[in-house]
Amino acid sequence: MPRNFPLVLCIDDELVGLKVRKMVLERAGYQVLTATDGVSGISVFENEPVDVVVLDYSMPGMHGGEVASRLRQIKPHVPILLLSAYIGLPGEVTSLVDLYMTKTEGAPVLLQKLGRLLQQPVAAP
Amino acid sequence: MNLTEFNRILRQVFLLPIIALLITAGALYLQVRGANETVRLIQDNDANITQAALVAKLVLDQESGLRGYQATGDERFLTEFRQAESTIQGELDNLATAVQADANQRYNVEDLRNEYQNWHDAFALPIMATVRAGGTANDVTLNLYGKTLMDQVRQDIRSITQHAEAARSIRIEQWHRQVRNTVEALLAIALGMGVLIGLFTRSRLKAVSSAYRTSLEVLSRRAEEIFQSEQRLRTTLVSIGDGVITCDAEGRIQMMNPVACDLTGWTQAEAHNRPLEDVFHIVNESTGKAVETPVAKVKRLRSVVGVAQDTALIRKNGTRILIADSGAPIRDQTEEIIGIVLVFRDITLERRTQETLLSNEKLAVTGRLAATIAHEIHNPLDAVSNLLYLMRNGTSQEEFPQLIDMAESELARVTQISRAMLGLYRESRAPVSVEIKSTLEDVLLLMEHRFLELQVTLHTDIPSPVRVHAFPAELRQVFTNLLANAAEACSPGGNIRVSACYTNAGSPAAGASIDIQDNGPGIPQEILSQLFQPFFTTKGENGTGLGLWVSKGIVNKHGGSINIVSSTDSATHGTAVTVFLPEKPAFNTVETN
Repeated sequence: MPRNFPLVLCIDDELVGLKVRKMVLERAGYQVLTATDGVSGISVFENEPVDVVVLDYSMPGMHGGEVASRLRQIKPHVPILLLSAYIGLPGEVTSLVDLYMTKTEGAPVLLQKLGRLLQQPVAAP
Repeated sequence: MNLTEFNRILRQVFLLPIIALLITAGALYLQVRGANETVRLIQDNDANITQAALVAKLVLDQESGLRGYQATGDERFLTEFRQAESTIQGELDNLATAVQADANQRYNVEDLRNEYQNWHDAFALPIMATVRAGGTANDVTLNLYGKTLMDQVRQDIRSITQHAEAARSIRIEQWHRQVRNTVEALLAIALGMGVLIGLFTRSRLKAVSSAYRTSLEVLSRRAEEIFQSEQRLRTTLVSIGDGVITCDAEGRIQMMNPVACDLTGWTQAEAHNRPLEDVFHIVNESTGKAVETPVAKVKRLRSVVGVAQDTALIRKNGTRILIADSGAPIRDQTEEIIGIVLVFRDITLERRTQETLLSNEKLAVTGRLAATIAHEIHNPLDAVSNLLYLMRNGTSQEEFPQLIDMAESELARVTQISRAMLGLYRESRAPVSVEIKSTLEDVLLLMEHRFLELQVTLHTDIPSPVRVHAFPAELRQVFTNLLANAAEACSPGGNIRVSACYTNAGSPAAGASIDIQDNGPGIPQEILSQLFQPFFTTKGENGTGLGLWVSKGIVNKHGGSINIVSSTDSATHGTAVTVFLPEKPAFNTVETN
């Protein structure tokens, strides 16, 4: 359910990148929670009223695809945006998430896509 | 049939007619001698008859003389009488001698002598006396008496003559018979001998002829076999897919097969009897210097030889192809070298393929890290891009320094990764002094993310820098391969230990020893031996199978060695790869067999 200050959960193992993303999102009016790996990310997701998840694909331990499927099991209505440094992820991963983009597309595109995700009615996968 | 038998047959055939002729001559001679004997006897008979006739004449002379005297009383008529009278005894003696062999004739002659003497004494002398005395001798009774006596004499002479003539006829008959016998015998012998000689000669000649025919057949069959064999060999030779050149003992070309003509650019006719070097002009591929031809090498070493790597053949039209060749001596039955045979093939394509494979492998190595590299570059750049966005939109100036710092440190990461990555690919032209510690650390940095991804823990133990002479990019390629293998083997949750140190200090075998251990499941014994073969992989679709093969090639080129020790034991499983690189190697050309 969209709110004035949607809560975004960012999960990424890149510390600097995560910090910078948080700054960008906060400047754009979001509240941001962060997690640096899949396990802690899932735990935050369970316990907090997260509105949207921005999920990195390549992480040590559980990669983004596994995390996404766990998240879907917990709260399937929460939209997930998959971020990746890679181009060309396998279909079974991209079908799990609502939107997929690469990291090279830049901050404006990220904000725009995120906005679109939050405006759409929730679609159960 | 051998030569001795043949000579024996020849001798037999030669001698038999001669012997036959000799026998015939002998028989003929005997016959002729017999006939001659008969003729002599006949001549004797003739002599007897003549003698008897002579005696008869003498008697007649005496009688006619007497008669004349008797009629005329003239002494002149008694001349013949006297003459005959004086010689008749001698002639009678002769006659007696002539017939002395025949008892009958002897008696006859004795009778004759007696009768004559009778006549002479009892008639002739008294008549003469009478007439001389002047009387007449016309008395019939006396003359009859005289005639009777003369008849006796004539009778005797006649019987002697008849007897002799009879003997003569018999002898002539005998002689005819003998002649006939001779002719018959001659014919018989001639026929017999002829048949014998004919049959014998024919059988001998038949033997010879059949032996000759057999020889001809054998020869013809042999010739045919040799021809067939030669044809087969020729066809085989012509069909061989490699070039084949044969030379005589001095190294002059005798034969080139079509592939050899094709590869060298010379025809068989042009090349014949030329020295090998004219046609088979080989040089070292890189230096261009002339290379010892296999012929010279074979003559020198007197055994099968191969040729060095990187040999190029300069064809007649001046173009070059890379070849692999080998030469072997052709020996005769006494083990003397009577020629040299050279076999070679065009490996240009093979070599280029190999080179392509090698350079592809370099790229493949890069490709294996592509994901990592993308990650390591995209992430920092994404952060920098976000930072720039922030600086343009809605951050205050005093926050700038902090943001700029973050951007700089992210860019430094990119540069480091990028440099390490280029180091993988771009190669120096000549070996340089390479510091192993920093090279390993570069590679480990590149692989850091991959290790994280695979959840592998890294321990390094590289106490101090170690320097060797090497090609840095190639060493990076080797280390990347080995580390990637180790990480994939013990993922997830495994440990990798990387250590490097300087060994055998002060000796010619001084150099760097690099050790990469993982505690993965280990490699089974039967696979260990195949690991370094090209296209061998245990990673299914994901492995090119060339990594270890290329790595070994590079290590060998650097004069070093690579060893793998592994255990699949449940307690001590794991693999340890040790690479040794000499400090100052003599570089071999890459051996990729």
